[in-house]
Amino acid sequence: MPKKSKNQEARNPYLPAIGTIIETIQETPTIKTFRVVLDDKDEMERFTFQPGQVGQLSAFGVGEATFVINSSPTRMDYLQFSVMRAGEVTAKLHALSTGDQVGVRAPLGNWFPYEELKGKDIVFIGGGIGMAPLRTLLLYMLDNRKDYGKITLLYGARTPQDMAFQYELPEWLEREDLDATLTIDVEAEGWEHSVGLIPNVLLEMAPSAENCAAITCGPPIMIKFTLQALQKLGFQDDQIITTLEKRMKCGVGICGRCNIGTKYVCVDGPVFTYAQLKTLPNEL
Amino acid sequence: MAAKYLKKENLVSWLQTLAKERLTLVPRREGDAVVFRPFAPGQDIPLDQQATTPPKAAVFPQCEPLLAFKYAKDPENPGKVGVQVKEKLGDTPSVVVGCRPCDARGFLTFDRVYDSDRASDLNYLTRRRNTLFATLACDEPASTCFCNWVGSGPADAEGSDILMVPVEGGFVLEPVTEAGEKLMEQAPLEDAGDKAALAEAVKENAAKALGEAPDLSQAREKLLSLFDNMDFWEGVSAKCISCGACTYLCPTCYCFNITDEQSGAEGVRLRTWDNCMSYLFTMEASGHNPRPTKAHRLKNRVGHKFSYYPDIHDGHIACCGCGRCIKSCPSSVDIRQIVLQAIAASAASE
Amino acid sequence: MELLDQLKEKIKERLPELDVVIGWEQGFDPLHATPLFMRTEEDVDRLVFSPLCVHNLASHLTGLKGKKVGIVVKGCDSRSVVELLQEKLLVREDVTVFGLPCTGVVSLKKIKHALGGLDKVASAEFNGNELKVSAAGAARVLPLNEIAADKCGRCQYHNALLSDVFVGAPVEAAAEDNYADVEAFQAKSPQEQAAYWRDAMQRCLRCYACRNACPMCVCRDHCVAQSREPHWMTQQDTVQEKWFFQMIHALHLAGRCTECGECERACPVGIPLLLLKRKINKEIKELFDYQAGTKIDATPPLLSFKVEEENINERGW
Repeated sequence: MPKKSKNQEARNPYLPAIGTIIETIQETPTIKTFRVVLDDKDEMERFTFQPGQVGQLSAFGVGEATFVINSSPTRMDYLQFSVMRAGEVTAKLHALSTGDQVGVRAPLGNWFPYEELKGKDIVFIGGGIGMAPLRTLLLYMLDNRKDYGKITLLYGARTPQDMAFQYELPEWLEREDLDATLTIDVEAEGWEHSVGLIPNVLLEMAPSAENCAAITCGPPIMIKFTLQALQKLGFQDDQIITTLEKRMKCGVGICGRCNIGTKYVCVDGPVFTYAQLKTLPNEL
Repeated sequence: MAAKYLKKENLVSWLQTLAKERLTLVPRREGDAVVFRPFAPGQDIPLDQQATTPPKAAVFPQCEPLLAFKYAKDPENPGKVGVQVKEKLGDTPSVVVGCRPCDARGFLTFDRVYDSDRASDLNYLTRRRNTLFATLACDEPASTCFCNWVGSGPADAEGSDILMVPVEGGFVLEPVTEAGEKLMEQAPLEDAGDKAALAEAVKENAAKALGEAPDLSQAREKLLSLFDNMDFWEGVSAKCISCGACTYLCPTCYCFNITDEQSGAEGVRLRTWDNCMSYLFTMEASGHNPRPTKAHRLKNRVGHKFSYYPDIHDGHIACCGCGRCIKSCPSSVDIRQIVLQAIAASAASE
Repeated sequence: MELLDQLKEKIKERLPELDVVIGWEQGFDPLHATPLFMRTEEDVDRLVFSPLCVHNLASHLTGLKGKKVGIVVKGCDSRSVVELLQEKLLVREDVTVFGLPCTGVVSLKKIKHALGGLDKVASAEFNGNELKVSAAGAARVLPLNEIAADKCGRCQYHNALLSDVFVGAPVEAAAEDNYADVEAFQAKSPQEQAAYWRDAMQRCLRCYACRNACPMCVCRDHCVAQSREPHWMTQQDTVQEKWFFQMIHALHLAGRCTECGECERACPVGIPLLLLKRKINKEIKELFDYQAGTKIDATPPLLSFKVEEENINERGW
């Protein structure tokens, strides 16, 4: 019988902190962003996380769901989560507004290897809600701009209305130190940017793979063809980084549902290189 | 303290003493099943064979509240509704008497997961620290027993606080932990005398009766190498009906679900047993399910126990060999056969 | 030729045109048979048939949709196939039924009571109307009528009611079923009945073996007992929730349950679940004079509508 727990000052891993929504943004018809501040001032001040880590948001009475913290650790005024409506919990979250309280269990999981990426060129390729996990790293790199080489962003959505983070897209497009391209699947009235599927646009952009890392997230079908495009462009498996999603409950590697063989996405992930993914059993 | 002798007729008086200080769980016959229930004087305590269910719920209840929450209006701003959350931990001192070595050992599989470098599950650990096990060694194995395959045996004391070896007329009690010794001090014991030698003979005979265990050292790699061989998994899972009986009767299956229930302004966040045989276990909100068929799910159950878990946890197999999953399976799916077939199948394909 | 040999021969004849044929083989000990999925002639050689073949293999049929499936059935099992066809849950052309005459199967629970346990069975052999079994070093002879499943004692359909291939000589006998077990239970006071179910449900694990073993319970992966959308039930382990689920299960089987008893047989903690379904079937029999799965062209009463039901006095108040 274990007399002492391994974590001496163990905090109850299931006990969420209470946070208050200070702002919401209806990004697209199905995506709503929440800016949350923890109610306990000290806790909010002490709070740290790494770009790519996730949190469990609670709508007490309905349940919890996992979202990436898509604000940057360099901008700690609030924690930002973007929620796509899909099931019971996300529907309840969408009904919340400024001033409402939520539970927050964060940070959970691993993060992008931003230290190892220092000095490299970076290509971000995001599709739909898949832009959220990229945003945190993008902002982090922009706030530490001198540490990184050329930064390229390709962000695609089905239609202009499905494009999230519209309030910061103009800034991203204008910045001299960021090469941003937006694309939608098919021509739409008033759209002044690229048109075409992400992998095709990526091939046209043809970023050099030399001393470069590609960071991509999006729906499975997009990831599949984006990987093929990246390989065509000469990217090696360990130059490609992505984040995974699984049904999660505990978030701390105990409840047993998010494993792919020996790896638990909630603690060993969500960030994996393509080289790492290839070593995992085929159960995505 | 040395081994002592407890006469069969003194068992109840010991239990009565224990029950004054601790929730004392013992086997009880209910209908066609034998389950662990709080000791009650005058009731039969069937110790002659393994209970239908393990004493898993003593430490890991089928359902427990993790938190209680309450929505309330902010007194300073009545337009605003706030939420209060409280953790709930169960710390009733308990003792399980009459479980088998495999039952007590099952919690060792839990311990490595529920108290790791990454997280300490306080709900589990609080109960775990407050629960003792007076375990009955087995004198004769059942046809479904295979504890010797997974590094254990019919008199394995690991995970127990007292080992009770059944001998003619009573039990030889061996203290395993300090806490167990204290429990023994409360029993009307006699010197073991020549009973100690009888107890050793019982242990030896039981171990012999289990026979030779096959070598499972290859299972880890072999199961992984079969991961994409769906023909194999469809074959071995064909008769499985994808219920959760095997997992809920398993002393080592530790997976759970978390769900909220609210009534009026208050509610609880529940932790309940869940299992990888269930379609909904891995079902994602998008409609995608990474384990869509029973073949995928049985693969995870067997793979987790004999490959993934040992890989992460120093080679420990996440199975205690109690055999309940075999004997209580409506279709008699035999996990021993699946593991052996996996070892043989991949040997053939190499 | 022995019945088993004839059956094997017939299955081998049809095997080339089928994806799989479901039967039974010897399980992990001499008293347990286990479902066998036959794809090759070597598989067919492992087939057994005896009173140990307790499983209703029809429970596997809806999970094999789209495949050409052969299935070996006893009389009671055949009723499930008929009911599934009636409800259009199976495509007739996709199922090849190998029908058998059956004189009864055992109840492993009764054998367990007789032997004091099933853990140490060394051998078991049927000899006419007896089972000779040796366990824990002692030999016992158990008369079949003492260890037969309850359903066999009241069996009206010993022979498969539907078969593409029938093997063996039909059994002539047919018992009556007057629902004596239900009557006896109902003779208890409501308080006694409630106490009985409270005690039994206490030990329910919510493992859903009852549900998944049921040939007619076809929602399995999308069951309201676990669903959050709709969110009808909680995951609490209270008697109330467990009872709620059993009521849903039983009511959804009204007029559909073929009383194969798989729910009860599958329950790992021995809850007598068939009694609930029999209570409802008794009402169905009295109201609609209907028995599920006995006539292939009949419409189950709760799948049809009549303005005036013969036995329901709707306007007579």
